[in-house]
Amino acid sequence: MRAIIIDDERLARSELKKMLTDYPEIEVVAEAANASEGIEKIENLNPDLVFLDIQMPGKTGFDLLAELDRAPHVIFTTAYDEYALKAFEVNALDYLLKPVEPKRLADAIQKLHYQDEKDNHFNPQVNVNRSLLTEADQVFVKDGERCWFVKLGEIRLFESVGNYAKVYFAGNKPLILKSLNALEERLDEKTFFRANRKHIVNLRMVEKVEPYFNGGLLLELKGGEKIEVSRRQTVKFKEMMSL
Amino acid sequence: MLRKNYKYYWWCQLAGWGFVWLSMIFFAYTFDQKLTMVWLQRISLIPFAGIVTTHLLREVTKRNSWLLQPIEKILPKLLIAVVASSVVCSLIQIAAIQLFDLGSGTRKLDFSTRLLASTLDNGLFIIPWLLIYYSYHYVEKSRRQQVGTLKLEALVKELELKTIKSHINPHFIFNALNSIRALIDENPSRARNAITELSNILRSSMQAEKMETVSFEKELNIVRDYLALEHIRFEDRLKVEYEIDEDTLDQPVPPMMLQTLVENAIKHGVSKQLTGGFVKIKSDFTDKFHELVIQNTGHLNGSMNGDGFGLTSTRNRLQLLFGEKANFEIKEIGQNLVEAKVLIPVDLK
Repeated sequence: MRAIIIDDERLARSELKKMLTDYPEIEVVAEAANASEGIEKIENLNPDLVFLDIQMPGKTGFDLLAELDRAPHVIFTTAYDEYALKAFEVNALDYLLKPVEPKRLADAIQKLHYQDEKDNHFNPQVNVNRSLLTEADQVFVKDGERCWFVKLGEIRLFESVGNYAKVYFAGNKPLILKSLNALEERLDEKTFFRANRKHIVNLRMVEKVEPYFNGGLLLELKGGEKIEVSRRQTVKFKEMMSL
Repeated sequence: MLRKNYKYYWWCQLAGWGFVWLSMIFFAYTFDQKLTMVWLQRISLIPFAGIVTTHLLREVTKRNSWLLQPIEKILPKLLIAVVASSVVCSLIQIAAIQLFDLGSGTRKLDFSTRLLASTLDNGLFIIPWLLIYYSYHYVEKSRRQQVGTLKLEALVKELELKTIKSHINPHFIFNALNSIRALIDENPSRARNAITELSNILRSSMQAEKMETVSFEKELNIVRDYLALEHIRFEDRLKVEYEIDEDTLDQPVPPMMLQTLVENAIKHGVSKQLTGGFVKIKSDFTDKFHELVIQNTGHLNGSMNGDGFGLTSTRNRLQLLFGEKANFEIKEIGQNLVEAKVLIPVDLK
């Protein structure tokens, strides 16, 4: 398992690295001292795991994650930060408090192995093409005080709102700073279908298909959202569905 | 307190009615009335009946807590009470006159006329009695309310001071501990020093709650320890400069105030800079003030525009301790440079 440590304090990084020597399966492949450096290293090295500090100069750890197309496994590390602690408690994200207790680190790594096994079980050949996002990939979404790691497969719909995209999953619909066109390029078109100018739907979440005006279609999603398919896209939709 | 008030009440009753009794004798004397024994006894009935009825009236007032209710609501009840007690007062007098046979003998009037006349007479005593009673209680009540508000204000001030004083950022403590743990292998002697520095800070933040002011020297030592610890964390990202006039070292300052300001300079300033920054501490005399200046790299953000809680409370705290002339301000004084300035008036003898 390849890991990156992102923390603005050299001593904090070296302390964590020292503690990780007890876990030979985890190899620290890089370190970063701020968010921009971190983004660069994550994109180049594609680690399986990131230890991430929240408060850093420039951008915070949360900002860093929100900028990534694909969120890796993350274990947050923080000294004491009421705001971050609240976010962790609300969203059950995994976190370590500095100075890190060895027992807590062991638990976090244990949990990681368990999750990894589960993921591999369901998706035997993961990430053949790393540039395309699959259903098993997760994104980090932040909306005010709340934040989530969301598996793409759980997302029903992306809706364009200016420069942002509104992400519909479970009972939430936060905004992310990404254009619909950029998303479309990265998403697997077998699952995510561009229904019209403003919407990308997850085809596995479609519950009902009805004919609509002008030879278009109306899709009803599992969350009850009704999305119109433009005439041009209807042709494509029918092609894909008829095999 | 209550017992004392009760005693006071009885003295007032006796003095008031005694005054009525004496003035009646005085008027009778000046108008050359014959001071017979019977007349004197009959006159004496007035204060006696008066005390009994007004005491009853007081009991009724207290039982129904009329004093606590708004006056306009209680007014009709009071009027009835005045009439009723006047009647009772007259009845006592008439009954006593009959019983001891103190009638003047010259005027033989029927009972109802006597009652009416006597009631009107007594009303003239009972109404002033009630007015005095009520005004005393109103004055007393408003005085007590004022004392209560003052006490409350003092309590709020004290609490405010305490919360400001005991403020030490937990984020800093845990980060420092984490750095120290890493240092134990890397540089054991530095790690040992760091533990001493951290305990100094913790100790003085605990002691700060007990003291109003400390010498600037003491406060500066804490700040030096604090900055030494932050230097472990930030390494070459943090530069520190001091410019201290040694004569200012004996000046009194509020405990943990400079420390909090420097902590904010790091938290909101230096720690947000990718390439790091500096903190500069200056202490000097200007005119009639001891001037403390903290400069740091960074910007003022919206929540720091001089009306954030920390800043307002710093100003309040200074003015509570050193008077209105003491001041505190924070502003941007250039590209990426923030300056906080504390002015404490100095008594130059």
